[in-house]
Amino acid sequence: MLALVTASAFFLRWLPTYGPPILMLPVISGGAALAIYLTQRRRYRARSHGLAGESIEADLPAVLWTAFAGVALGCLGIVVVLVS
Amino acid sequence: MINSEQPHGPAAPPSRGKLAERLLPGGEEPDPRFTLANERTFLAWIRTSLALLAGGIAIEAFTSGLFIEPVRKGLAVLLLLLGMMLSGGAAVRWLRVERSMRTKAPLPLPFFVPLLAGAGALAAAVVLVFILWR
Repeated sequence: MLALVTASAFFLRWLPTYGPPILMLPVISGGAALAIYLTQRRRYRARSHGLAGESIEADLPAVLWTAFAGVALGCLGIVVVLVS
Repeated sequence: MINSEQPHGPAAPPSRGKLAERLLPGGEEPDPRFTLANERTFLAWIRTSLALLAGGIAIEAFTSGLFIEPVRKGLAVLLLLLGMMLSGGAAVRWLRVERSMRTKAPLPLPFFVPLLAGAGALAAAVVLVFILWR
């Protein structure tokens, strides 16, 4: 979560150079960080109950969404660098 | 004293979502510690990916006095591309490891480690050459 917030701050460094469209990048990374923050208690509870019951279902949606955010950030970053 | 607890058999496995049934078919839930370890490894790769993305942005934003434009853009794109591939690759690796654990098969080798090492070395070499050349 903190790594995503740090990445958002880095993306903001591009704002003076590329203007408002660049805000998409910190919105994606900041949104992902916020989603992690808001769901962490629920996930922690599910995990601790799973450990106690010795069965945890893999958190597939969380993994796929996190990976998608990374891919989207990279894609948009490349577009920004190449188009500018 | 009456014992109110009724004897019961083994707990029924929890129902899995459609996505989980489709992407992680067959097998049985592995030891929860292994599932969590797999998730931690995935998150470590994601952190590396974010560091590469931030590095690409830093190259593009802060090194205009150091590199000529094509090199600066090339390095930035290389790092961003690497970060993007690492992010997607981390999810694929997580899936492959999870499938292997479910079916008790040997764990797959990480296919993007050589790629990451090669591209990282290439980027470092370019930076080194430019720093020495100036």
